[in-house]
Amino acid sequence: MNVQTLTSIPHISLVGPPNSGKTTLFNYLSGKNYKTVNYPGATVEYSISRLQDKFDYAAHVIDTPGLISLLPNSPDEVVSINSLYSHPWFGTPDLIVVTVDVSQLSRHLLLVKQLLACKFNIVVALTMLDLLKRKDYDVNTEKLSNLLNCPVVQIDPRSGNGVINLIDQVRISLNNLTPGSRQNITRLNGEGSFNSLLTLYREIEIIEKEVLFKVGRTPQINLTRANKQLKILINPEAKTESRQIDRTTLKIDSILLHRIWGIFFFFLIMGLTFTSIFWLAEPLMGLVDSFFSLSSTTAFNLIGNNWFGDFIANGIISGTGSVLVFVPQIIILFLILGLLEDSGYLARGAMLIDKPLSKIGLNGKSFVPMLSGFACAIPAMMATRTIPNKRERFLTIFILPLMSCSARLPVYALLIAFLLPAGKSWVGGIMLACIYIFSIISSVTVAGIINKFKNTLIRTEDNSSFILELPAYRKPKFKVVAVNTYHNAKHYIRKAGPIILGFSIILWFLTYFPNTNPPVHSSRVTDAQVIEFQKSARLSSSYAADLGRFIQPVMTPIGMDWRVGVSLIAAFTAREVFVSSLALIFKVTDNSDKDFQNSMISAMRKAEIEGTNQKLFTTSTILGLIVFFIFALQCLSTVAVSKKETGGWRIPVLQLLIFTSTAYLLTFITVNSLRALGLG
Amino acid sequence: MKTAAELKFGEIGIINAIDEAHPSSRRVLEFGFTPGQEIELINKSLFNDPLAFAVRGTIIAIRKDEANCIKLE
Repeated sequence: MNVQTLTSIPHISLVGPPNSGKTTLFNYLSGKNYKTVNYPGATVEYSISRLQDKFDYAAHVIDTPGLISLLPNSPDEVVSINSLYSHPWFGTPDLIVVTVDVSQLSRHLLLVKQLLACKFNIVVALTMLDLLKRKDYDVNTEKLSNLLNCPVVQIDPRSGNGVINLIDQVRISLNNLTPGSRQNITRLNGEGSFNSLLTLYREIEIIEKEVLFKVGRTPQINLTRANKQLKILINPEAKTESRQIDRTTLKIDSILLHRIWGIFFFFLIMGLTFTSIFWLAEPLMGLVDSFFSLSSTTAFNLIGNNWFGDFIANGIISGTGSVLVFVPQIIILFLILGLLEDSGYLARGAMLIDKPLSKIGLNGKSFVPMLSGFACAIPAMMATRTIPNKRERFLTIFILPLMSCSARLPVYALLIAFLLPAGKSWVGGIMLACIYIFSIISSVTVAGIINKFKNTLIRTEDNSSFILELPAYRKPKFKVVAVNTYHNAKHYIRKAGPIILGFSIILWFLTYFPNTNPPVHSSRVTDAQVIEFQKSARLSSSYAADLGRFIQPVMTPIGMDWRVGVSLIAAFTAREVFVSSLALIFKVTDNSDKDFQNSMISAMRKAEIEGTNQKLFTTSTILGLIVFFIFALQCLSTVAVSKKETGGWRIPVLQLLIFTSTAYLLTFITVNSLRALGLG
Repeated sequence: MKTAAELKFGEIGIINAIDEAHPSSRRVLEFGFTPGQEIELINKSLFNDPLAFAVRGTIIAIRKDEANCIKLE
């Protein structure tokens, strides 16, 4: 996007409180050139897009983070509010569209009044009329427009009704702009804000009384009305004012937030979410995986056995595969979380878990990112932006790498298969469940410990708070959620993709060079075997192997040798690379899935620590490796995202050092104490 | 003076004042807890914290500590 197009057409900012339908409206309006951009030097993120072609109007729309007031309460809000005044790229918006939930008029008009007081050019978009009508109320839009002295339009961003009228109004307002009107924009003064807020509320309450009116009060009697009156007679406690709480919501809450059953439903819903992330994504991930290994083999065969062929096949194609293999999981994660959020449940989940999490220095709002962490730490870290308190947010980011992400799954699968007694595969499931439970317990413990040292480690302290609206339950709109999911997946590929691919290429280089064409015995073996022997010889004389031998002294105390060391280093691109790297070193070539694991395991059983006749893989070293994978931060993409989200190298470097050294120490203890107990 | 944190399940109170000294007081105000408003404690989470109040036609969940800065009549 060049600067020319940015300044030549008007730009409209969408502003509104959380749950006011702002992002839904944005998704409805946005068409080509959808982009998510970071505010320079901060973690506040904006989505920007051209208006869809069907509106026949050239303008940029910017979705801004949800705001309830122009007075900031967190560092991120300072940035959001500042950018409203003068965004480093777009300057001051030509027009602001404020979304207002009309069933929440007395709360949501606060932001509108503040924006008007600061002399922004605004158009108010009233949403959620269906919720107001459920309460037998309606709104006089014209009167509201007169009282506020700014244009007001009714819309339903979920269906698109009224959006055309909004665009027409935007067009009119932009045409009527007087040049230089943006110079008059002022800032809200934080001084005496307490009393000025109270004054604003008094004004808003007068407006609310004027514009909301009860419907269905006409004298003629009809059946529906008679029924309604009957209901009121039966339920004398039914409040007949616009401020009553949605009855359906209260009914659902009496079950889902029930004092005893609430926690049961919480674990049920979370358990279902969690398992479906795995079981729905698994076949799709397998599909992506086999597609890329097939393409990789094909490319290698087409180009030939030289460095270029290997670079394309194992550097580029496999690297791309390691980016895309997580896409199914990210899509399913965002779909389920999106549906839960749109329905209104996620806020309740955060409320249920706030107290226990606050004990270890986290926040109820940490819970969604932590849940996402079981799929992948990368989208999980991006999801921490909803936590207003910086310390709690950084602490959440800190422990996210300990959540057992899906990349660890292939590694655990192999290691568990090695330990399994023949014919008792169900034991594997139990072992895997134990690993997950252990990783949850350890992340909670680590969070508690890190929180104790928050002054040295996290280095920020602000007021911990949990104030969250529990929105009315609504049937989630699949289309709205799907569009969001699509953008999130695209965002992941754009942001994390190049980093993961870049590191894959570096690692390919380290494992391929300098001995690119090692001599191998080629008599009495097939061509394919020659290639495999070459690969294996190349790897054992590569820079990565040098590195592995260099760290041999580190590997010996934990009962392993340089070959495991190299695989652990290779696993820094992505944890599951550990398996393929071990396969390469132990010359396991059979690629059909089931046989692959069997031949892999028999090769592992035969392996001896170099220079000795001691077995390399034993119960103790395998358990040690599992412990290592639970704790080690073996994912450079996570480090990169952590740096981006915390705005510096301090936290990611601390994470890398603390988690990897803890992993090493605990592996050392595991292996040696098991050996002392006589377990190989 | 009684605070919102002391309301019983289903009990209704009218806000008298917000304790300005509390660090979250302005946010509490911005979420709609203003003097004169009627609030009802409609839900409690595990361990009775946070509390969910009906205020201005919506439900706001807020920590007990923060509810303490809402003084009732």
